[in-house]
Amino acid sequence: MREQQARFEELVLPHLDAAYRLARLLVKRDEDAQDIVQDAYIKALKGFERFRGGNARAWILMIVRNTAYTWLKKHSADSDVIPFNEAVHQPSTEEVLPESAYEERLHQFREALARLPVEFREILVLREIEGWSYKELASALKLPPGTVMSRLNRARLHLREEIAKLQPREL
Amino acid sequence: MKCEEIHHFIDAYLDGELDSAQQMEVEQHLADCPSFRSLLEERQAFRAFFVAAVSDYKAPPQLEAKVLAAVRQVPTRRSVSLWQQPWIYATAVVALSVCLALRMLFPDAEKEFARQAVLRHSNSLSTSHLVEVASPNPVVVKPWLTARLDFAPPLVGSPAAGYSLVGGRVDEIENRSVATLVYKHDNDVVSLFCWPPDKERLSTSERSIEGYRVSTWSNAQCNYVLVSKLSDKAMHDFMDSFRVQIQSGAYL
Repeated sequence: MREQQARFEELVLPHLDAAYRLARLLVKRDEDAQDIVQDAYIKALKGFERFRGGNARAWILMIVRNTAYTWLKKHSADSDVIPFNEAVHQPSTEEVLPESAYEERLHQFREALARLPVEFREILVLREIEGWSYKELASALKLPPGTVMSRLNRARLHLREEIAKLQPREL
Repeated sequence: MKCEEIHHFIDAYLDGELDSAQQMEVEQHLADCPSFRSLLEERQAFRAFFVAAVSDYKAPPQLEAKVLAAVRQVPTRRSVSLWQQPWIYATAVVALSVCLALRMLFPDAEKEFARQAVLRHSNSLSTSHLVEVASPNPVVVKPWLTARLDFAPPLVGSPAAGYSLVGGRVDEIENRSVATLVYKHDNDVVSLFCWPPDKERLSTSERSIEGYRVSTWSNAQCNYVLVSKLSDKAMHDFMDSFRVQIQSGAYL
């Protein structure tokens, strides 16, 4: 069992940043994201026997995703419908206040992203950051292949619109 | 394809998801249509911006330690699943009952007494707490022991040729105070534990525990456990000679 644990740590722990990023985008708040990552890793270890090699990063990300969805369902009052929640989007103390115009734009971009429905945030991060193909997205998110492209298009459009609302003069 | 139709494919093009015919069409249009080119640049910038904005989300430094600690506390799957099975408790109960039944049918008290006697013996050697009353004379040792016990142990000064009494001490075996008589022969130390068979009489047995030879036997007056590193022959000589003296009443 120790061996298996060591193998788990070697394979799955390097993807902590990716796991956190996905959790953070799905549930938005840092503390919640940390809890979800921790829960997901515990679940992953318990189910590690069922991991038959392959892409450990994709595997842990899907566990993070499922854990995040369970969490969102439980806290559905303010997350499923995703109205803009002031409390969530107040800059937290740890967040550095934007200095340059570039920093400010990054900050606005993240705010705009946070206003999107969760399935848009999810598909965008898996495509843009993780670089998953439409086929991989379809199978992981259990979508018909045609839906992936239209959902991505809608997600990008939605994001551009949110950014335009925050920043009328650009994009 | 019409211009707007092709624009619709712009993201799929950037995602590398078009088939080769579609891709050629898009690239052809790119060469012909300046507004499509500027749109493409806009979309590329947008993507770069997305990556820059989201890449700022990194696991806080303490998260790895937290996750590692949590993961290392997870019991192994085997033990979790086993102890979560209701049948394991039923099995344990059955196994325990069988053990108890066997113990009633075939008492193996000797083993437990022997094990404890070895422990007392080896402790007395390692702590040089060999005896509490030191004398080769039974007349000195017997009253000392009797005063501290609820019985009077049989005292034999020289149970076998070459063995002499070093003294005695009081030990605890199975929650009972017992008399321990210590004999020496050259460098061999022998502990003879004895107590009245108030609850059960030990049967005759011999075994090795942690390098010691242990022999148990009993008579109507006493249970005996003998612990030493003697050879089997020397041990049997000692026991035979001791028994003869006890039977002939040659003891104090």
